[in-house]
Amino acid sequence: MKALLAVARLISETERMAFVRGLVLSIVVMVMGAALLGLSGWFVTAAAAAGIGGIGIAFDFFRPSAGVRFLALGRAAGRYGERMLSHDATLRALARLRGAVHAGITRLPHEVQARLRGAEALNRLTADIDALDGLMLRLVLPFFAACATQAAAFVALWFLVTPATAVAVLAIYALGGIAILTLTALTAHAPAAAAETSLQAIRAASLDLMRNRADLAVAGALERQTDGALAAVRAEEAARQRLDMIDQWSGAALALASGLAATAALLIGGRAAEAGQISPAEAAIGFFVALALAETLTTLRRGLAEWGRMQGAATRVLALVDTPARRTPKAAPAPRAGAALLETRALVHCRAGAARASFGPLSFTLAPGETLLITGPSGAGKSTLLSTLAGLIAPSSGEILLSGAPLEDWPEDRLRAKLTLVPQRSALLSGTIAENLALALPPERAEDEERMWQALEAVHLAGVLHAREGLQTLLGPQGVGLSGGQAKRLALARAALRRPPILMLDEPTEGLDAATAHGTLTGLRKLLPEAGIIFVSHRHADAALADRCLTISV
Amino acid sequence: MTKTDSPTSSAKAELARLVAPVAGRLRLAGLLAAVSELLWAAQAALVALAVGGLLEAPVLLPIWEASAGFLALMALRTGLDAAAQGLASRAATRLVATERQALLRAAARLDARASGLTPAELAALAGEKLALLGPFAARYSPAMMRSRIVPLALIAITLPFSWIAVLIFLIALPLIPIFMALIGIAAQEASERQMVQIGSLNGALVDRIAAVTDLRLIGAETRAGAELANVFERLRARTMKVLAVAFLSSTVLELFSALGVALVAIYVGFNLLGEIPWGSWGGPLSPEAGIFLLMIAPTVFQPMRDLSAAWHDRASALAVATELSAAKETLAREGTLLGYGTPATPPAPAVLSWQGLSLRPAPSAAAIRFAEGQIAPGEAVALSGPSGAGKTTLLAALAGLIRPDAGVIRWGETALDDESADALRAAMGWLPQAPQFIAAPLAEAITLGRDGDLAAALKAAQAEDVIAALPEGLATPLGDIGGGVSGGEARRLMLARAHHARASLILADEPTADLDAETAQAVIAGLMALRAKGAALLIASHDPTVIAACDRVITLEPGGHP
Repeated sequence: MKALLAVARLISETERMAFVRGLVLSIVVMVMGAALLGLSGWFVTAAAAAGIGGIGIAFDFFRPSAGVRFLALGRAAGRYGERMLSHDATLRALARLRGAVHAGITRLPHEVQARLRGAEALNRLTADIDALDGLMLRLVLPFFAACATQAAAFVALWFLVTPATAVAVLAIYALGGIAILTLTALTAHAPAAAAETSLQAIRAASLDLMRNRADLAVAGALERQTDGALAAVRAEEAARQRLDMIDQWSGAALALASGLAATAALLIGGRAAEAGQISPAEAAIGFFVALALAETLTTLRRGLAEWGRMQGAATRVLALVDTPARRTPKAAPAPRAGAALLETRALVHCRAGAARASFGPLSFTLAPGETLLITGPSGAGKSTLLSTLAGLIAPSSGEILLSGAPLEDWPEDRLRAKLTLVPQRSALLSGTIAENLALALPPERAEDEERMWQALEAVHLAGVLHAREGLQTLLGPQGVGLSGGQAKRLALARAALRRPPILMLDEPTEGLDAATAHGTLTGLRKLLPEAGIIFVSHRHADAALADRCLTISV
Repeated sequence: MTKTDSPTSSAKAELARLVAPVAGRLRLAGLLAAVSELLWAAQAALVALAVGGLLEAPVLLPIWEASAGFLALMALRTGLDAAAQGLASRAATRLVATERQALLRAAARLDARASGLTPAELAALAGEKLALLGPFAARYSPAMMRSRIVPLALIAITLPFSWIAVLIFLIALPLIPIFMALIGIAAQEASERQMVQIGSLNGALVDRIAAVTDLRLIGAETRAGAELANVFERLRARTMKVLAVAFLSSTVLELFSALGVALVAIYVGFNLLGEIPWGSWGGPLSPEAGIFLLMIAPTVFQPMRDLSAAWHDRASALAVATELSAAKETLAREGTLLGYGTPATPPAPAVLSWQGLSLRPAPSAAAIRFAEGQIAPGEAVALSGPSGAGKTTLLAALAGLIRPDAGVIRWGETALDDESADALRAAMGWLPQAPQFIAAPLAEAITLGRDGDLAAALKAAQAEDVIAALPEGLATPLGDIGGGVSGGEARRLMLARAHHARASLILADEPTADLDAETAQAVIAGLMALRAKGAALLIASHDPTVIAACDRVITLEPGGHP
């Protein structure tokens, strides 16, 4: 509950006025709906009374009939405005929420980010955010609108019908509504969460089954694994049926409550009319308004059925949004004359809980203009070493000195200006080549096309792009539209654009043919003659391009 | 395939076919709901009689009797509604679960070379997409039934009282679908134009999260965040344009139904006052009749309103039905692997031989013919040949993972077919070219539920230090792409799996591809250790070190055996 309130606050505080406008209109719409039925009932009954009494000529029919038309048209128009305003506010708020989630994820430690990047984790995350889009529309706004409408109806019934009618109608709706809705929320909580969990389980089991079906068939485990997937389907069905059952009962209970309220209004108003305290037309108002008030609870009921799903989503989303700020020093360390560009001393990394070190101890230096090749068997920790040097993960022991100052003393922005790493699998964004490259340039030079082409020439990508739409060539999500080798070289060009003093490349030539591999490495060196370059490679041919070679072993 | 084009007749037919098994229950649910809605007329009559009695003697129905009757009918209607809803929702969940199970069963046994349906597409279809059939069945179908019965029945009830009221209904009701269709077409077009962008509200976020490390490394974290806000703002503006048209269609509906009700109310009022004496049969309406008409007027429009609220459910269900039928077609076309993948007792070691084999490497590719060949127990054989000669295809066929177009594969005297496949595979170990693990703790991903000595298998495959470097050792969850282990480490774990299976024939596909020399050497040693324990090896490879380590080579000719 706390998490949901926190998310509601987070969502609403950025777009408060938009939500208030939406709320005001939704109250207006509900009140008009109740007034329309009440006025129609009064008008018809009063007209009948006037007709019977033979005073039809004296009856002012213009104002009530105009009122009926006004309420009918106004309600439809108000509904339109309310939908537009509240959806607009929700969309704005959800954009903010997505932005906050993104910002939170950027502050997470590197290892946690790596886990979130998997397809399933991303799917889960977007499902969570989607679950929250009903929070304001189906829960918060309808709640306040219901309270306000019931209060307005109470006042109206008190003065227009009888105080007893007002009290009875409010009491039945308030007590019944609170009891039914609370019970719905409480009982639906577990199955709603279970349905969501099973749905994710169905997804995961489907992926597993289809990807591994050959392995599973050979191991004689295909049927067992299939049964597991089918069990997830049955679990989802069971949870969904429980939810439907709760929905059915709460719907029935609410219908009975509104029926009870209307009956009470009919009975109390009718007795008062029989006693001559009020006119039959006034009694009709009570009955019709009581009937119309059922609308206040139906929207809320649908929202409450999703409560369990929303709550789990809110907890997970909030955890990401609340990621604490990354700690980074304020000022850059003072330059030390004569210090090496990069130096490591007895550097060791060991994964938490692992029995063996990923690499190390390693000690080496890198000078400007120098090219250092790192080789070693698979699993020797070469990629982990580069991530450590780039400040993505902390070493278990030992030191990294950047221009003589410890790596951890460098503020994030200065560190990134000083060194750039191109990981083994680098990710591109959907959009044009120019947009992808612009991110690497300083904002004031973001449109420096000449510099972009220079970098693309260096990685031998210029020809390919000239043949297409140049810098305006469009990429799909995650860089779809380029081959693996081209995407890799675009990532290299993006890094080279920054002209970093230290450039680190993880398997830059993997998947490239020999000529392109050679051309790309020499092109990068020519573009950045002063940079210290560290690269990891398996290819023997690449060793010729390095000044020095550091071999690490398991 | 996912494009939501305008509902074609084939999509409608497909959806009807999907719903057919539960159609009877849905019809019954719709019928119950319609009866319940029509009972409102009885409630209205009670109230009308009671209020009429307040206006004028004689009192036809005392107020407390009317109240009691009203409440009793309400309870009856509530029961009917609950029964209808229960029927419809149970039918809907059953429908979704049945389709999911059929889909997963078919996909699990899909032929190994099949490519028409990716795992991600299957997961999306079996997960959130099939779920969209539920709301369609539970809400749209019963609403459709009600909209066919209730308005006409209520109009028939109205006719004896007033032809004007009937006229109002008859004008307002058909106008609703006409205007909605017009606006609906506009909305459809608008949303199709924007579909790509709207879908990418999440896509834009996912793209940035997938690239979060890269963005940090090029110092673009803050700028990417700011840029994301701009993308969201553009998407919001576009989405609102689509919603504006979509909401307009429901507003038109509300407007017409509200106007219909208001006109009836005003007509009845004026008739009772004597201002409009015509429109009813033989004199003005009685007060009771007036109140009754006023009360049933909104119910005439209610089924239409519910139907339009569920319109979106129908659109999504049509899209899902189209996609599901395409997926089923793909699954049927691409065929199944042999056998069922159940545990079985392995046969004694014997010669594996094949004659007259003809195999297609991909469902649409031309068939490759293979020369006959065999592997004796304990033999190490390399399978070489240029890429495209069918090395991987032959291995998969020998394991019964793809169905040959022609030819026979034998284990001793036993022919490989659906009946024998599970038992024969129990004697085989399988090392695929791209190692993958099920999303489970590592221990389970290696044993795959079989008994055996895991520690010894890990030792034999030199995989103990792979486990030692993992944060939770054997309990480490792998999955997706075997996150956390390198290519060489994954191969060693696959070797451990082969050791653990105590297979008498190991089928390995390019076990040293993309590995550095040192790791490749370790993998070859692991394979030879399997052989030392008595297993026969068939290794597809063009790595000279692998070929040198084997007893003999089967070379596949490019373009197949003449």
